[in-house]
Amino acid sequence: MSALVQPLPEVNPLQDTLRFARRVPPCAVVIFGASGDLSKRKLLPSLYRLFYERRISPNFAVIGSSRTPMSDDRFRGVMKESVSNFLEDAPFDEDVWKSFAQSLFYVPGDLNNPASYDDLRDKLDAVEKSHQTAGNVLFYLSTQPSHYAEAILELGQHNLNHGTGWRRVIIEKPFGHDLDSARKLNDEIHKVFDESEVYRIDHYLGKETVQNILAFRFGNSMFEPLWNRRYVDHVQITAAESIGVEGRGAYYQEAGALRDMIQNHLSQVMATVAMEPPSVFDSTNVRDERAKLLRSVRVMKPEDVSTHAVAGQYGPGKVGGQDLPGFRQEPSVDRDSQTDTYAAVTFLIDNWRWAGVPFYVRTGKRLPKRVTDIAIQFKAPPLGLFTQETKTGPREVRPNLLVVRIQPEEGISLRFLSKSPGSGMRVRPVSMDFNYGSSFGERTPTAYETLLVDAMAGDPTLYTRQDMVEASWQIVQPILDVWAHSRFEFPNYAAGTWGPRTSDEMLARNGHVWRIP
Amino acid sequence: MSSAVIFPAQPEQILKGLGKLWTSLGEEEKQHGKPTVLRACAMTLIVATDEADRGFCASQTISELMREHPSRGIVLSVSDRAEKSLEARVLAQCWKPFGKAQQICCEQIEITARPESWPNVGPTLIGLTAADLPVIFWCRHQGALNASATDDQKAGLEAVMNIATKMIVDTSSLDPQWAFDLLARWQAQGRLVADLEWTRLTVWREPLAHIFDNTARVNNFSKFHTVEIAHTGEYPAPSVLYVAGWLSGPYRAHVKFNKEEGYGAGIHRITLRSDAETIEFERSSPDCMTLRSTNGRERKYSYEEAGPAALMTEELSVLGPDAAFSAAFRRAQELVRELR
Repeated sequence: MSALVQPLPEVNPLQDTLRFARRVPPCAVVIFGASGDLSKRKLLPSLYRLFYERRISPNFAVIGSSRTPMSDDRFRGVMKESVSNFLEDAPFDEDVWKSFAQSLFYVPGDLNNPASYDDLRDKLDAVEKSHQTAGNVLFYLSTQPSHYAEAILELGQHNLNHGTGWRRVIIEKPFGHDLDSARKLNDEIHKVFDESEVYRIDHYLGKETVQNILAFRFGNSMFEPLWNRRYVDHVQITAAESIGVEGRGAYYQEAGALRDMIQNHLSQVMATVAMEPPSVFDSTNVRDERAKLLRSVRVMKPEDVSTHAVAGQYGPGKVGGQDLPGFRQEPSVDRDSQTDTYAAVTFLIDNWRWAGVPFYVRTGKRLPKRVTDIAIQFKAPPLGLFTQETKTGPREVRPNLLVVRIQPEEGISLRFLSKSPGSGMRVRPVSMDFNYGSSFGERTPTAYETLLVDAMAGDPTLYTRQDMVEASWQIVQPILDVWAHSRFEFPNYAAGTWGPRTSDEMLARNGHVWRIP
Repeated sequence: MSSAVIFPAQPEQILKGLGKLWTSLGEEEKQHGKPTVLRACAMTLIVATDEADRGFCASQTISELMREHPSRGIVLSVSDRAEKSLEARVLAQCWKPFGKAQQICCEQIEITARPESWPNVGPTLIGLTAADLPVIFWCRHQGALNASATDDQKAGLEAVMNIATKMIVDTSSLDPQWAFDLLARWQAQGRLVADLEWTRLTVWREPLAHIFDNTARVNNFSKFHTVEIAHTGEYPAPSVLYVAGWLSGPYRAHVKFNKEEGYGAGIHRITLRSDAETIEFERSSPDCMTLRSTNGRERKYSYEEAGPAALMTEELSVLGPDAAFSAAFRRAQELVRELR
């Protein structure tokens, strides 16, 4: 038997990982839906910022594509305006922009029109030569979700899924609108791309604090021994928004809070909080553990839905003296809409570590403030030696609460009891705070910057895999099915409040109450 | 916000002073009814300065550094104007992140020593370092680094170096041969040494290194047989020698130094030559660098002169050995010998 020995690519002798930002290989990024909001607000500002910070290869190019007819120069002009408007915590530099803009190109085209893909191939060939992108291409589907399958099949038809370098595709959420459609979409994608080439983006996983959960849990030995049913009473995951649907009424009416937030973002956050430690910190092992956790979540029986899940919809309210419309009064929303703008679910995880520990997950629009956090409520000490003085008299306290704040102020705080100074054994809860922004003064990269660099570098750790997506649909599908056949008495909470009363009742049945974050 | 109290330089008294300082900050908290101050410390940072360094505001720099590297800062000022042989004051450096109610505060201790007392400062410093955290010594006392250093200065320097995990100097104003010999001697003693002249190069090194991330290019790296460095100033500064060492080290490329007019001190242009391609990286204007290749590519980068706080911010992120620096330093030592 003879073996072909291929020389290994040489390591860059000038690389300095201690001081230089992580390198990504040369590539072209093709954005479908380039004239859309996501491109303008997130993708181009993130790419510019990465370029400004020299975190992407100088040999890169961006090819925008959408139906709007535009020249390269016009596209550059539109994107310049977007980048200067939407750049977060960073300066806009005219000179750097000029350099960046040399790598921006535009191919007008319709996803349904095969000729558009021929134009795209020509442009890719041209930038491969002019910008030395080494044939590497990252496709970014930032289009209407209903076009995903079609666009991917066309890429395959035009042989754009193969080339001299690697080919990868990033797909935005929602990934399907239910379990069946997600499976169908996966099947379509796999006709063209291998699973290893598919990057399903969930920008929550790109947030620094969500990544920090892994460092916090598995980089420290003091918390992990407590991270189980023996010490944890329950977990609350909250993603509250103070805004309404903000002009996205038509989309939101079809999606709803459960689909829009819990099926994807919050189930992934829950998996990160509850997963087992991976044996090695690499994309396969981390994602295996996340997927395993999601598969361990108990799938509700239809008869359990009413006691384990709550739907809500905001009605009109008054905040700060300002009248706010109800969901049904929002533009493009049906007057008798049955869409959930609030959802709360009690998940149970059937594994050795978490059996019997409820994971309460809630999300909603028009809640009192914008906050996303995870609260681990530890059990009370076995013997209540100390009580806390309250207005209504002494009360036993459950002091130990660990809160991981994801937004707006990323950080971690641990609450514990301490003796109040002075005579007598009076105790009060105090808090130990770690604030991400103040402890690490450097600018935190946005989730999209992190995720784009990861995709270019071929690191899918923070992307969701097919089995994870399907497992997360599996756990919300029974709720969606029951709700689809229910008639709710909406609205059931006023704008500016913490959601419907039934949500409080869901926790009260277990002797728990929602925190006020 | 900061407050200050003067003490004799006895560790116990200084620590007591710090304790009182925190108690007084806690009083403010009590009045506000909620936490208003967060105490932060990730290292002890000792900064030694001398008379020649009077324009440098250590407090200001430490307060800039604390945003990324909160520390217990100890500023050691050696001055023959000092009234007592050793005295100290403590203060808190605080900043309030934008939009936040809580201030982040770091402790700062300022010790003033007469030159003859400097060798005795070691025991005081040992008692003042934050427990279980790295001790970084930033020596801005140029007199002690010079060939003409007095015995007291040498002994004083030694006293502080002995408790430091890492020593940071800036050789930009020193004779390169002397500076490299000094650093080599410390390295031979097993000390971890960093030079801000190397840190200044990151802005040049990173874009250059980036070029060779391309597989085709990296395979051709060994073919770049000549490295030319155009520098301002009469002789190549340590930074010029470092960058030459860094680029020529891996494959022993031939090095040429040329004196040219340019913007600011140090490197003006770096040229890499192979038979097939020439790459030039030049400071083309005071705030811009241009990277050109004979294959037709040109790219501009913004250039910002890094001040002491920016350089230290980077250097404090590297608390362990720095392999790239060590390799460049070895080759730079050879180059400086060849120049003589």
